[in-house]
Amino acid sequence: MVILQLEKVDTGYLKGEPVLKDLTMGMNKGEFIGVVGPNGSGKSTLIKCITKVLEPWEGTLKLKGRDVMELSRKEIAKNVAVVPQDTYISFPFSVEEVVLMGRSPYLGRFENYDKEDEKITKRSLKTTKTYEFRDRKINELSGGEMQRVIVARALAQDPDILLLDEATSHLDIGHKKEVMDTIKEKNEDEGLSVLSVHHNLNLAARYCNKILLLDDGEKHAFGRPEEVLTQANLRAVYGIEAEVHRHPKDGSLYISPVHKSIGTKEKGKTVHVVCGGGSSDGLFRKLIERGYEATAGVLNVMDSDHEKANFLDVLCVTEAPFSSISKEAYQKNLDLIRGSDAVVVTNFPVGEGNVMNLDAVDKGVGGDQKLILVKGKSIEKRDYTKDEKGVELYHKLLQKRHVEVVPFPESAVDILEEERTKDK
Amino acid sequence: MSHPLKKHFKTSLLAFALLGLASVVISLSLGSVDIPFRNIVEILLSRIPFVGDLFSTHPGSPPTWDSIIMKIRLPRVLLGFIAGVSLSVSGSSMQGVFKNPMASPFILGVSAGAALGAAIGIFFGFPWYLLPVMAFIFAMGTMLTVFFLGRVRGRTDISTLLLAGLAMNFLMTAFTSLIIFYSDPAERMSIVAWTWGSLNGTVWNHVWISLPVMLLGSTVVYAYARDLNVIQTGETSAKQLGIEVEKTKIVQLITSSFLAAVVISFTGIIGFVGLIIPHASRLLVGPDHKKLIPISALLGGIFLVACDAASRMSGEIWVGVITGLFGAPFFIYLLIRNRGDTGW
Repeated sequence: MVILQLEKVDTGYLKGEPVLKDLTMGMNKGEFIGVVGPNGSGKSTLIKCITKVLEPWEGTLKLKGRDVMELSRKEIAKNVAVVPQDTYISFPFSVEEVVLMGRSPYLGRFENYDKEDEKITKRSLKTTKTYEFRDRKINELSGGEMQRVIVARALAQDPDILLLDEATSHLDIGHKKEVMDTIKEKNEDEGLSVLSVHHNLNLAARYCNKILLLDDGEKHAFGRPEEVLTQANLRAVYGIEAEVHRHPKDGSLYISPVHKSIGTKEKGKTVHVVCGGGSSDGLFRKLIERGYEATAGVLNVMDSDHEKANFLDVLCVTEAPFSSISKEAYQKNLDLIRGSDAVVVTNFPVGEGNVMNLDAVDKGVGGDQKLILVKGKSIEKRDYTKDEKGVELYHKLLQKRHVEVVPFPESAVDILEEERTKDK
Repeated sequence: MSHPLKKHFKTSLLAFALLGLASVVISLSLGSVDIPFRNIVEILLSRIPFVGDLFSTHPGSPPTWDSIIMKIRLPRVLLGFIAGVSLSVSGSSMQGVFKNPMASPFILGVSAGAALGAAIGIFFGFPWYLLPVMAFIFAMGTMLTVFFLGRVRGRTDISTLLLAGLAMNFLMTAFTSLIIFYSDPAERMSIVAWTWGSLNGTVWNHVWISLPVMLLGSTVVYAYARDLNVIQTGETSAKQLGIEVEKTKIVQLITSSFLAAVVISFTGIIGFVGLIIPHASRLLVGPDHKKLIPISALLGGIFLVACDAASRMSGEIWVGVITGLFGAPFFIYLLIRNRGDTGW
């Protein structure tokens, strides 16, 4: 059943300057559609248009077969709910009061919430795991908690279509996954149709059955992820060279940009960084500023250190999101470690998935290579592996000939600089 | 503990209503002539149809007491209560629309406009009963100007509105000062007195005009209580939750400015009530406008009746001075308490 249909829709903010141009697309009940495209390509505008915050200038937009122009705001709100990127609430409403607001499209001016409203609200609180803190003040929540509350409010609207406007872009990777998994469950179990605007191509590829790729307000491609997220399309719309891989476990796609290969090597100036979970801090930036050639690995795609490395064009061995290190990636990482002048190991949390990174450092670092370990939380406290493999490997690293322990990631660069002046 | 009365809203509402009644009766007994409570209650009850018959034969109070209560003190105390309610409801609504706990009923320039109207009236020697008319016309004129300056491409832009209000406030105040400059000393004193507000000289007609305005205005504001709640989570989100945001803003801004304009036309500018009472109420019952508006209304009425009693007891110090003397330190206390915290 077609639940949402756009026919040649134009819209925007200033007359004569349409942001969405001639957009035609349809959505069937139960689909999970991802909307991607560069900044300013009209992704968020599409969400505003579907909810009639912006009216279509040209063309028609139909919700369940009815033209939005004939629907009142309340009628639209009963069918479509939105989770925005961020919400700021200046007054200290409780979590429950905010979620109850989701029921307002069903109430008359002087009507009050009834048993049914309270039941639906309670269910939404439970689905999003916010029930436990329903009495807390909304302005005292963390970003992740807040976003779950806003999802709960959207679910309390009992919509047929859920629109996500970069709903998880301010969240860390764990919370991203938690929020998206909750929504995916509603999509699979109850046939909730979801249209989700993403900045992150990998997140879109992972959760959506269909992808709409927008370029400057126009539809560039629309279809299954593998039809849309192709090297050619990414080159044309984003201007990047990227590799498209398949996730070894669930077969979903993921994308990693390809970087220029390492140029002429200067002695003592190639540094390999083993990190993860944001533990690299400002290390990549400082290395590059001081003229080092940095490499990194193995990092999961979507990890915040991976995003940092990518942003700075650091050559990086990658693994699919949320997966353990494969043999292939391990080998590539080992090669990079062997080819570098120094290796920095940050104080990242060690789990079953990435413990092989420490093993690679142990195997790879040779007699003349400098090894710098970043102290912080002690290894015993950040080793989450069974039988303390991480601790064991870490102690082996401490036995290396040129090992040095520094307090912060950035202090590693100072050590490297000292080393170089000594050589001269 | 925050929001101590949130869970006991209905009981609190009843308690505040009784407290309001008590404040009116106590306030009636205060003044240069001492009148015992018993006689006040008798005089009041004797005016109620049917019930009053039971008292008419009672050896009554001196007739002068009856005049003092019925002609002087009762209208004054009632107008005080009405003004307190109107300004507080207006303040709650403005703070809701502006999503800002610093907004006041005078944010669209109502007070500065009214002051200019009154100053012009005083300067040209208009009869006293025309001063409220002048004040009201200028208050509404200023408010509408600010309102239309704040309309950007068919919608009401909150920050433009705030700046327009600021500019018009300055302009009107500058004109008022210009008039003060050219006035003689007696006129100057009257104008200054007007800008600090007083309930001295209230007549029943003031009550009869402001009472229905208060009832109607407060009902309209209350009718949009849930819409105001949802707007606190952002205007776009509110639209996507089915709220007619533009309509809500227009209705609220005009109704609350009107509420404030009518009472200050009679009393002069009484500051701080509309700012601190919604604040204090929010601390008591939380930010839900369904609870906030009724509690603010009652608390505002009680507060202004008390301040006016203090004004009478102290030889008619302008009531706006008293609300300021109590209100500003309380406001500073709130600032210190909530410094670095948004949890108003």
